[in-house]
Amino acid sequence: MSRLGLRTLAACAALSLLAAAPEAARAELVNFDLSGGIYTKWLYRNNDSQGVLSYGNPFWPDNLSGDNGVGSEFELGIKGRVGENVEAGARLQSRFGSLWQDWWENGDISYDDVNTSGESLGMNHAQYIKLRGYYIRASLPIPWVDSILVGSSDFGMFNEWTIGKVRYIDRDNGKGVFVQGSPHADYFRYHTAIIALPKLWVGPGWSTGIGDPNIRNPFWARDLAYGLRFDSDPIDGLRLTSVTTVTRDSEIDLSDPDAVGTIYPTCKDDLGNPVPGCEKDGAVDTYTRYSNTVATLEAQYDGWDGGSFNVIGGYSYSTVDPSLAANGVALNEGVFPIPFGDFHGGFVKARAEFFDVGTSGLGLTVEYFNVGEHFVSIFGARREADVLITDGFVGGGQLPSLNLANEFVDFDDLWYESIVGWHGATALLEYQGSVLDLMVEQTALTYNTNAQYRDVDEVYPTFLHSDGFTDTDLYDYANVLDRGRDPRSVYRRHQDRWSSITMLQTVFHTGVGRGLDIGLKAKFIVDSDTRQEVTGEDDYLGLITHGKLWLSYPFVDGLSFAIGSVVDYWLEDNRRGTPEQGYGDDTTTKVKPYVDLRYAYQGFEFRYYLEYVYKDAERERDDDRNFHVIRSKAELKVAW
Amino acid sequence: MVSRFFPRSFHRLASRATLAGAALLSPLALPSDASAETITFKDPKGDDNGPGTYVYPSNAAYKPGSFDLTDVTIESAGSEITVSATLAAPIEDPWGSKGWEGNGFSVQMLFVFIDTDGKAGSGHKGGAPGLNVKFAEDSRWEKCLLISPQGSRRLQTEIDSKAKSMAKDLVIPKRVRVQGRKLVATYDAAAIGAPAKGWGFQVLVQSNEGFPGKSDLLTRPINEIKGEHRFGGGHDFNCDPHVIDMLAGGAVGDGSEKEAQHKALKAYSCNDDDENGGKQAEIGMVRR
Repeated sequence: MSRLGLRTLAACAALSLLAAAPEAARAELVNFDLSGGIYTKWLYRNNDSQGVLSYGNPFWPDNLSGDNGVGSEFELGIKGRVGENVEAGARLQSRFGSLWQDWWENGDISYDDVNTSGESLGMNHAQYIKLRGYYIRASLPIPWVDSILVGSSDFGMFNEWTIGKVRYIDRDNGKGVFVQGSPHADYFRYHTAIIALPKLWVGPGWSTGIGDPNIRNPFWARDLAYGLRFDSDPIDGLRLTSVTTVTRDSEIDLSDPDAVGTIYPTCKDDLGNPVPGCEKDGAVDTYTRYSNTVATLEAQYDGWDGGSFNVIGGYSYSTVDPSLAANGVALNEGVFPIPFGDFHGGFVKARAEFFDVGTSGLGLTVEYFNVGEHFVSIFGARREADVLITDGFVGGGQLPSLNLANEFVDFDDLWYESIVGWHGATALLEYQGSVLDLMVEQTALTYNTNAQYRDVDEVYPTFLHSDGFTDTDLYDYANVLDRGRDPRSVYRRHQDRWSSITMLQTVFHTGVGRGLDIGLKAKFIVDSDTRQEVTGEDDYLGLITHGKLWLSYPFVDGLSFAIGSVVDYWLEDNRRGTPEQGYGDDTTTKVKPYVDLRYAYQGFEFRYYLEYVYKDAERERDDDRNFHVIRSKAELKVAW
Repeated sequence: MVSRFFPRSFHRLASRATLAGAALLSPLALPSDASAETITFKDPKGDDNGPGTYVYPSNAAYKPGSFDLTDVTIESAGSEITVSATLAAPIEDPWGSKGWEGNGFSVQMLFVFIDTDGKAGSGHKGGAPGLNVKFAEDSRWEKCLLISPQGSRRLQTEIDSKAKSMAKDLVIPKRVRVQGRKLVATYDAAAIGAPAKGWGFQVLVQSNEGFPGKSDLLTRPINEIKGEHRFGGGHDFNCDPHVIDMLAGGAVGDGSEKEAQHKALKAYSCNDDDENGGKQAEIGMVRR
C-alpha cells in the first residue's frame, strides 16, 4: 500500500477513534508504512510432474518442484519510524509451492501418502506466512558512523569475488550487523559487517557442519563472516575500493570436558589415565572447520571522456580441517564446492572501455582476465551477477566461485558458469544506432586448471560430469539426459584445454508500424581439450554453433510480442567416455521455436512464454536420443 | 512505377535495411552530421543534496556521486537529438536492468525539461508526477525528455496511467547507453523540434524506482529520514521537492550555483494536516 493509501486508511481509523483517544490512536497508526505484492506463476510441460518450479533442490527431495501447476504467493512489507533517525521494518511472505488445486492443505502430515485429507503434503503446500526478513536501521550521533543496520541485508555492499550480493529470492534471508560511515566524503568511506553464516550453503559440503559425517554435534551458532570495505576517491574520476572478507565455520572441541558429548567427560582416557591438559573450566573451546579469506583491490577510472578503465585483483586463502570436514571430493563423487585442502589463490581482471570510437554510438571494450586455479570464494556471488563481458558458454553469467546456484530456477532462467581457472581476453565491439544495434565479441581463453594427473579423487571437485558441451535447455542434476558438463566443473584429471568464443548479435529496428524489430544472434565456439598428453585417442573438439532469430512488435502500449527460434548444432569429437571404454563422437541438433508476450498496465505485469524444444542427439557410443518438449510459463505480478 | 506495387512501409523498411547494411559493413565510416548543434551546461560537484539537506538511501547500490550532475550536453544532429548527462560517479547496473528490458543502468532517472517557446504562461507548470516541483511562469515547459533505465514499454505504460495530461510532451528516448559516468540518450528530433536560441532547459536528477507510488512517475520518494531505498532529509508529505540535483544559476559549474540550487529548492512549505498540501518549490529554466 502506498503511503497515501495507508495514511488514508490510518486517517479513517484515527477518525473513528477520535472521541476516545485521538492523539494516541493516530500516532500509532500513521507509523505503519505498508507495501504488498502478489505473484502468480503458471508452469506447464508435456510431462507428468506436478509442481511450480522447474529445478528445485538437487540434493534434498521436495514436493514443490515440478513442471505442471499454478501457484501464488503474497508478501507484506511493514516499515515504521521508531525515532527521528531510527527505522525498523519487516517482510512477511507466504510460502511458495502450493498449487491452486491444493485447497485445504494445512501443513500437517498425518499420512504417508497423498490423499484427500488436506494433511498429506505438509508445510510446502500450506501457504503459511513466514517472517522473511527484518531490520533496524539507525543514524546514530557517533563520529564517523553514518548508519547502523541490524538484521536483514542482501550483502550488496561487497562484490562478486568476496561476499556476493545474494540472489533475489534470498534478499532478506541473510542477517548481520552492518556499519557504514564516511570520515571523509571523498577520501575515506567504509562498510563493515558481521554476518551470520548461512548454515545451509557456505561451507564444505554446502553446510557449516550439519550433516557432515565427521561432526557428531554440529555447532553453527557462532559461524560468522566478516567484511570490510573501504572506498576512496583520491582524484576526480578515480575510485579505489578494497574489500576484505573472512568466513569462519567453527566447531566445538570434543576433547574439551565442558563440551556436550565430550570424549573426556572425566578428563581420563579409556585406560583411566588422566588426559594431559584436560581440565573443566566452564568454557568450551572451538576449532575452525573451514575458513576462507578473500581480499580484493579495485581501481576504477572515469576521468576521461573517451573511455573508462577498471582493474581488480584479489587473493584468497581457503583452509579446511580434514578432521572436522568430510572430504566430499572423495565421498560425494566430486560434488563439493571447494578444493579439499589448504589453498592460496589469486586473480586479476582489467577492462578498458572506449566510447564513440570513430563515430557516435560505437564502443570498444577490451578485457583481460586471469583467475587462478586455486582461487576460492565460498561466499561469492552465486547467480544474478556477471563479472566478465563475454557471453560465455552458457550465455548467462560468469562468476568466480564453485558455489554457484543453478537450482531453484525455472527453465527460462539464466545459467551461470564458474570461471575459476579462466585465463584469456575478450574484445567486444558494440554499436547502437537508430536503425541497428550490433554487438561483436571475440574471446580467446585457456585454463589455469590445465594439468595432467590432477588429483580429482581426493582434492579437486569435478562435480562428476566434466565432459561435453552443457545443454541448459534440457538439464538435469543427475545427468540421466546426457546434458554435458556441470557449469561448476572446472577441474579434470587430464586437461589441456583452450577455447574460442565468437559472437555476433544484432537488432534491426525496421521502423515498420509501431516498431518491428528483427534480431539475430550467432555464436560459434571452438572448445579443444587434448586431455591426456600421452594419447590422441581422447582428444575432445567441440564445434558449437548457436543461432537465434526473432521478431518483436509492440502491438499496443504496454504490450510487446516476440516470436523466434533458436537453432543449435554441435559437433563434438570424443564428447564423453573414459580412456578404458573409449570415447564417442556425437552430433547434437536442437531447434527451439518460441513466443514471448509481455504486458504491463497500471501495475499489472504479465508475461507468457511458450517454447517447443526439439533435440536430436546422435551418439556414437550410446543410443540416439530425441526430445520433443513443449513447455510454457506465465507470470503475473502486482505490487502496491 | 514499381513503387506503386509496394506499400510505403516496404520502402521505409528497405531504406532502413540499406542504412543497417551500411552500419554493419562500415560503422567507422558513418559520417557525422556537419550541421550538428551543441548546447552545454555545467553543474558544480557536491550539490547532490537537493535543498542542501538531502542524503542518499542507505543501500549500497546508491554510491556517492551517483546523482551528482556535473555536465549536460544537448546535441542536435539530423533527425535526432542526443542528451549526454555526466554524473560524478560511474554509472552501474546493480539491479541487472537487462533482466527487466532495461537500458544498462539501474538507479538514476533524469528529466530534461525544455521551454521551447519562451512565453510566460505557456506550457506545463507542474513538473512530472513525483518530482513535487513547479516551474515559474516564465519557465513553463513544452517538452520533457526522459532518461530512465526502464525500457520504453514500461515508461509508456507509466506515462499513460500517471501523466495523461502531459503524456504527449513526455518524450521517451529511442535508445540510451552508458559510457562510464555518462548517460547518453537519443531522441527523435521530430518529437521535440530543432533547438533554437532562447530555448530554456532544466535538468532534474532523480532515482529510478521500479515500484513507484500511485502518483509517481517512476520516481523515488524523499522522506524525512533516509531508508534503505528512500532518500532522507526531506519531508514525508508531498511538499518537498523530490529532486536531488539540478541546473542552477548560469549553469556554468560555478560554486555559487550550489547556493542557487539550495535556495530554489528550499522554497517550499508543508501542511502537516494535508499530505498533498503546502506550497511546492518553483524553479526556472537556464537559457543559452
